[in-house]
Amino acid sequence: MTARQLRWWSWIHKWSSLICTIFALLLCLTGLPLIFHEELGPNPAIDEVAEPGVRASVDKMIAEALAERPGEVVPYLFYDRDKPMVKVPRAASMTSAPDTFFYKVFDIRTGKALSVDQPNEGFLYIMLRLHTDLFAGIKGMLFLGGMGLLLTLSIVSGMVLYGPFARRLRFGEIRKRHSNRLRWLDLHNLLGIITLAWFGVVMLTGVINTLAGPIELMWQSNQLLEMAAQNRGQAQSDRRAPVDLVLANVRAAVPGMTVTTLAFPGSPFSTPTHYAAFLTGDTPLTSRILKPAIIDAASGEVVAVRDMPWYATALFVSQPLHFGDYGGLPLKIIWAMLDIVTIIILISGLYLWLVKWRSGRVRREAPGTISAEAAR
Amino acid sequence: MSMGRTRRTVWAIPTLLALVTLCGLLAALAGEGGIWWPLSWAALAVPCACSAYYLVRGLLPPERP
Repeated sequence: MTARQLRWWSWIHKWSSLICTIFALLLCLTGLPLIFHEELGPNPAIDEVAEPGVRASVDKMIAEALAERPGEVVPYLFYDRDKPMVKVPRAASMTSAPDTFFYKVFDIRTGKALSVDQPNEGFLYIMLRLHTDLFAGIKGMLFLGGMGLLLTLSIVSGMVLYGPFARRLRFGEIRKRHSNRLRWLDLHNLLGIITLAWFGVVMLTGVINTLAGPIELMWQSNQLLEMAAQNRGQAQSDRRAPVDLVLANVRAAVPGMTVTTLAFPGSPFSTPTHYAAFLTGDTPLTSRILKPAIIDAASGEVVAVRDMPWYATALFVSQPLHFGDYGGLPLKIIWAMLDIVTIIILISGLYLWLVKWRSGRVRREAPGTISAEAAR
Repeated sequence: MSMGRTRRTVWAIPTLLALVTLCGLLAALAGEGGIWWPLSWAALAVPCACSAYYLVRGLLPPERP
């Protein structure tokens, strides 16, 4: 690499990192508790039952949930991935924003209400919003996506700079005798190259995650309407089939898969005359990939079942690789440790820049007095 | 300090570490049962352990010659 190229890459590394460092630190710090969201989140006591396969009436749960808050509606049902629980949100309207939902949680086997904190408040929720959208909705999400792209640039430029740097040192060599700056320069480079693949994957999948909003909109405006159009000929009415019937029909139409979400007619994820059910499989990978089924609201009959388009599947597959929650507690602990290493890399990078910047000022003020080691 | 290492020697260990990391990331995605999860933990423990080792070594005071 020529000296000119090296200067260019140094410039790219410096500025791409400087611009996004504060946000990258925020993402790493808020991400740390989120790795353990299952352990730290609401954990209600679940009764032991004689027949775990039994399902209580969902219609009764909905009636009980709505009786507490007259005038409100239930736009969705959210089934828990691991525990036999269903979250029933109540909202002012079918299109209300999810952060205004007020949830009631039921045991799906007994139909008994469980006392659980609201999932959209508390420490973890604040961490989640700071991590995903800075409380600014889709704009905040895309902004963080942009910061993620800058961070990608910083990783790539850091990798390019590692080549010429490492030609002078053995792998793992840390120069400690001369100055703290050199010690941290070597540590920054070394830790950076060791965690490069992990950090690269977590960040790129994070950037893909920020596209969830646009991907949902794309799916809603193309596929959802196309699927619903398959029974356009039928007479429309305000009649609603019971939710229990809808769920039974879906489970019969798509055996071997589990309903994770049911969107009620009129919600953003269904149509005014259809329910939409989202199903998943049971392996680590297929449990992430949603398969939508569209159900006629009046008759409760399944109209269409199809796979999600490739861009949605790419999003679903990228999610576990970002969250680190797909390999048990040991994987989460590893994720947390690598996250802490990343925080050290970010802070040491900031420190290195500060020291260089200060020595640059000293050099400008008193030329000829700086030591050789301060000039990289 | 060894001067002027070749591109191959510079990148050998980083490449190996990246491959081990990627194997670890994909192993847990491949399956839940059997060897997959422990394989993933073992592979991803490598960059973790390397980071911890060099961090501790870097933070220790320099040895007196």
